Amino acid sequence: MKRILGLVFIACLSLGFAQTSGGTLVAAWAQDPVGLDPHVTSAYSSFQILENVLDTLVTLDAEQNLQASLAESWDVSEDGLTVSFHLRDGVKFSNGRDLSADDVVYTFNRILDPETGSGSSWKLGGVTDISAADASTVVFTLEAPNPGLITKLAVDKTMGIIAKENVEDGTINTQPMGTGPFMITDFQPGVKVMLERNPNYWQAGLPYLDAVDIRIISDESVRRTALVTGDVDWAISVPAQSVEELKGRDDVVVDSTAAGSYWYIGVNLGRDPISDAKVRQAISYAINRDQIAEAATFGQAQATEEPIPASSAWSFGYAPYEESLDKAKSLLAEAGVADGFELEIMPTTQYEESIRIAQVLQAQLAPLGIKASIRTLEWAEWLEEEGAGNYDTYVCSWNVLVDPDDYYYAQHHTGEVFNFTGYSNASVDELLDKGRLTQDFAERKAIYEQVNKQIVDDAPYIYLYNPLNINAYRLNVQGYAARPDQAIRFVNTWLEN
Amino acid sequence: MSPSYVLRRLGTLILVLFGVSILTFAIIPLVPGSPARVKLGISATPENVATLEKKLGLDRPLTTQYFAWISGIVTRFDFGKSFINDKSITSEVARRLPATLQLAFVALLIGLMIALPAGIIAALRPGGKRDVTAMIFSQIGVSIPDFWMGILLIVFFAEYLQVLPSSGFVSVSEGFIPWLRHIILPALTSGLISGAIMTRFVRSAMLEVLNQDYVRTARAKGLSERIVINKHALRNAAIAIATIVGLQMATLLSSVVVVEIIFAWPGLGSLALNSTLQRDYPMLQASVLLFAAAFAVVNLLTDLSYVLLDPSVEYA
Repeated sequence: MKRILGLVFIACLSLGFAQTSGGTLVAAWAQDPVGLDPHVTSAYSSFQILENVLDTLVTLDAEQNLQASLAESWDVSEDGLTVSFHLRDGVKFSNGRDLSADDVVYTFNRILDPETGSGSSWKLGGVTDISAADASTVVFTLEAPNPGLITKLAVDKTMGIIAKENVEDGTINTQPMGTGPFMITDFQPGVKVMLERNPNYWQAGLPYLDAVDIRIISDESVRRTALVTGDVDWAISVPAQSVEELKGRDDVVVDSTAAGSYWYIGVNLGRDPISDAKVRQAISYAINRDQIAEAATFGQAQATEEPIPASSAWSFGYAPYEESLDKAKSLLAEAGVADGFELEIMPTTQYEESIRIAQVLQAQLAPLGIKASIRTLEWAEWLEEEGAGNYDTYVCSWNVLVDPDDYYYAQHHTGEVFNFTGYSNASVDELLDKGRLTQDFAERKAIYEQVNKQIVDDAPYIYLYNPLNINAYRLNVQGYAARPDQAIRFVNTWLEN
Repeated sequence: MSPSYVLRRLGTLILVLFGVSILTFAIIPLVPGSPARVKLGISATPENVATLEKKLGLDRPLTTQYFAWISGIVTRFDFGKSFINDKSITSEVARRLPATLQLAFVALLIGLMIALPAGIIAALRPGGKRDVTAMIFSQIGVSIPDFWMGILLIVFFAEYLQVLPSSGFVSVSEGFIPWLRHIILPALTSGLISGAIMTRFVRSAMLEVLNQDYVRTARAKGLSERIVINKHALRNAAIAIATIVGLQMATLLSSVVVVEIIFAWPGLGSLALNSTLQRDYPMLQASVLLFAAAFAVVNLLTDLSYVLLDPSVEYA
């Protein structure tokens, strides 16, 4: 019944908007994919391509709600220790082979295998076994209930379902094969990726496009020119300073939405005097977040004192740091550093934005007597230094966050690998663990509200702003929408003649 | 020029490349940041990084890594696989080398088309109106950074006039006209700058020759200015001009990096830059080696061209 309704819906859509099939969308990407093996790469430029090639068991719709995908339905046992996924019938890989439960089991075992070296295996933490109950049922066994697990399977394509033969013939990193709407037919690193329509795609009538021709154009102003001259139909991003100008044009659409991400200052809690919460609070009182957001993104962001954007159902609206230099000065005096101190800020060339943030911070901290120096590192070195804890403060962002657990656990729970600041608070740990086991929305929100307040007060992270996710495209590109999770999906996109 | 001379030069060239291969192999891993870390990103555990480094063979001693690498090149002409995307480096480099060569060659051609006439005309009346004009334009050309020149050209020709594409590459096999339309702007960017530099060299080479006694003699004989310039002066200035052209070609090969990035031109320069940023060691080593080889070959060709240009030059 569900499927018939779906078909009727699609039929209505096609009557209402008259999609035209065919054509090649020329899309400009900013960065080269860092390999295409979904379980090994961590680059968003890779996932944004894989978004159109692979499917996951479950997925997120534009409002970030959980939706069925390869799994038509799923159920959780009463004790919360087993999760069963029931696979959709009639799904084929792009090579024409039927998808079976064995492929799903193979995929997840590959992610968990230490030999794979997957940076995403942590998402399956607490999963003790994955097995096929029958040809179309996959059962996850957990050591403790974990309501957040299912969302983690849905976010981006780190948990994308792949075929064993694709790994065995050694092409998973250059030409991964999946069940998604498109398949990769050409990959020239640094130059282009060609996606062609998957003739075996399981959603009838989709995709509309014959192909997507992805070109890597790393210079942002050239990307803008390519878009306005029609050399490309769609651009992953445009220079922030051109957004207003592009909005004024009648041949280009600037599509923006609040992203599930935030920019922040990470503070090394192992160094004095910033190990003192009062000093971090002083910084938080002294800075003007609106100015920072304006300078860093040319106004394409919302200043914030907490991580979750106001557009999310999980937003708390906690904002204790009303800008006050006096308050900041008295906090510094209480901490015994009334005369200020020297502080290093570490941004990265990978994100121009982080350098602009650091420059504004440097100026804003000067009246406090804090002599800030900026050490800008190239990405590979930045990652080394951050991982090794060789910094006073760094500037970075967290992206593609959906569940509140994504916003706090990995970053602030004691001993977590991504807890780069060294923050440790027993009551926060306890609440974070409890949040993972709680099912009820209101009860969960109350738990995370406490977590949020404590972390904003302790300020291991000093939150700055929530950016907008902005894609821009020609007027004839239809059926595309920028998403909060920055996923790029061309499955429903068509070109109007 | 004896064949043994050419063979000797080729032998030296191979030795030089061996030296370069050892240097790049030893220096590149000293740069902070590891390929495994870049690939796995911010969300990788130290164990993940260690696993991947082991897979890439980075846990072996440097000498072992070097011999495995160099023997692959010498015996099978196999430069290995990319650390980041598993692509064969030999085929990746082979695909990109022609794009860089084409770009550098067309840029050099544009440069010469500017520098030869401008330099000669400027030298005919030093201090005259034409000389001053040529020198002003040359000074502007030398001073403009290539990335800025590139963006200016894109804004003017692609966006304002809308007569040329803003970026990208089309192979000649897909048609000469599309190829030409795509190569004009990047080649013009490099070519204008290199033309400005060469104008100064052509001018001073010509000036030197024009002050020689034999030129005065030729003029005194009553030969027309055209014959004096073409037959007597230009021929003798040719060696100096060939030297600067050789140097410019070598410079162009390496300086197209920025132009390639701006114009999304799939050449060796953008490959080298990407491999540096991603710490793709074998890809970077191959690119550096190839740049070194191109540099050495161009120098060799320049030296050999002297024989053709000046009969008094003899290599034994």
